[in-house]
Amino acid sequence: MSVSKNIILFALLSVLLIVFMLAMQDLDVLYNSYGRDYYLLYGLEETGSRNLVSAIYLDYRLFDSLFEAGILLIAVSGIIWISKHDIEEKNAKFMIDKYKTPDLFVTFSRLVYPLMLTFGFYVIINGHLSPGGGFQGGAIVATAILILYYIDSERETNIGLIVTIEKYIFMTIIVLASISLFTRGTFFTNFMPLDASLQMKSIYLVLLNLLIGFKVALGLWTIFTAFLKEGR
Amino acid sequence: MGDLTLIDASAYALQVLLIILAIAIVMHKNNGTIIILIASFSLVTASLYVLNSAPDVAIAEIAINSAIIPLIYVISISRQREYIILDKVNDDFIISDNSFTGIGYVILKRFADFYHLELNITNDPGLCALGEGEDQVLCEATNVDLIITKDTETNQYVFKGKNSSILIHKLEQLTKDHDNIRVVKFKDRDVGE
Amino acid sequence: MDPILTFIVVLIGFYGLSTSSNIIKSVFMVTIIESGIILLFLNLGNYQGGSIPIFSEQVTSIVDPLPQALMITTIVIGSTVTAMALMLSIKVFHYYGSIEWKDVLGREELKL
Repeated sequence: MSVSKNIILFALLSVLLIVFMLAMQDLDVLYNSYGRDYYLLYGLEETGSRNLVSAIYLDYRLFDSLFEAGILLIAVSGIIWISKHDIEEKNAKFMIDKYKTPDLFVTFSRLVYPLMLTFGFYVIINGHLSPGGGFQGGAIVATAILILYYIDSERETNIGLIVTIEKYIFMTIIVLASISLFTRGTFFTNFMPLDASLQMKSIYLVLLNLLIGFKVALGLWTIFTAFLKEGR
Repeated sequence: MGDLTLIDASAYALQVLLIILAIAIVMHKNNGTIIILIASFSLVTASLYVLNSAPDVAIAEIAINSAIIPLIYVISISRQREYIILDKVNDDFIISDNSFTGIGYVILKRFADFYHLELNITNDPGLCALGEGEDQVLCEATNVDLIITKDTETNQYVFKGKNSSILIHKLEQLTKDHDNIRVVKFKDRDVGE
Repeated sequence: MDPILTFIVVLIGFYGLSTSSNIIKSVFMVTIIESGIILLFLNLGNYQGGSIPIFSEQVTSIVDPLPQALMITTIVIGSTVTAMALMLSIKVFHYYGSIEWKDVLGREELKL
């Protein structure tokens, strides 16, 4: 890269830095504390969730989470479509196979796998009480499933079936989120009435967290299965 | 107040460490080492998330960006070094005495070492059963980079590959001294054909 | 916490993105920019003396939970986008035989 291009690049980046520093000075005027005070005062009462981050992505801004799950589904479909080969069922078997897993690693993986799976489900189910929730727990469950490939490297996975299950889970999430239209009269909120007890409200939160967790875990599972199969 | 200043000091130290790691990733040339650096980069960012009172985000960052993403990087980098060859020849061009000592393998090995590739040779019966005319379809539809066949009339070995790949042009220059090797390049076809 | 130090990480990512020589390195840089921007958002919601956003009777002030909820979804989406870019780069390697930008973009049939 030539020197003049480098100088232009540095000038552009320093202009960006100066603009950012000027913008940061106005932050105190623009930013106020009404939002966080509202969430602290009414968050538990309105949603039944002690974890206010879960309260936002499961109740106040459920619309965002639904489209996030949709983007995940679209990205997974895109990856499968890119990696798909026209001549199917003819995966080549190679003569050289030097990627062999050591025995110690396999034994250790067998010990760690159930612990990680349990921890993942713990994080999902307690998502409305402690840090965690569907997105984080789903990622931990996906990492646990990844260990299965170290234990048995010849493992066969049916990607089509996983994506089909993922689609049905996505539809179930939309249906569960829309039930509130009949009980409360508005879309995309808790279907329990406002004056129900905390235990009743947490039914909805645990259900939705479980569904989102399954969806994220299946999506990430599909992604790394597509990568492992690629070129094989 | 003593605790607060300690937290502030560690946050500043971690942010400086983050900048050093980012510069190291930009300057480094070897992609394999960058994977280790990027995993440690996301560990440092996860601890900064905890110091910013965001434990939820830290759990997501640890589970995804320092476990799943480095694995995907490792897989894709190892896939980008391998050169997949489909061997349809039945004599001792590639394999003689059940080992890779044939004259064709020596040429390809020299080619692969020069361009830092890893040879991945297969003679999978399912793919070899396809006819001669389907070689172009096979090249386009799968990741196979090179198909080796034998022309029985002229007694020549034929290397077939995509015209778009620069590696097939390099291979053609390398093998122009050998009389018994011919390189065939498949041109791209329009989608309508 | 200094937002300016965090923004410098984003700028380093931009610098690397415009000077990187191969496709994999560009994807690494996108990951760095993404981490920097997430940290920036969390910095804006954080303030001195705010506790983590989990309700209990003793807590009187919390940090803003809204940027955190947005950033969790950003991490999950960012991982899938990275995976998609890497899958495309594998396809590019098998088509062009190289992942260097100068080999992929400087080809004769692309010069009009």
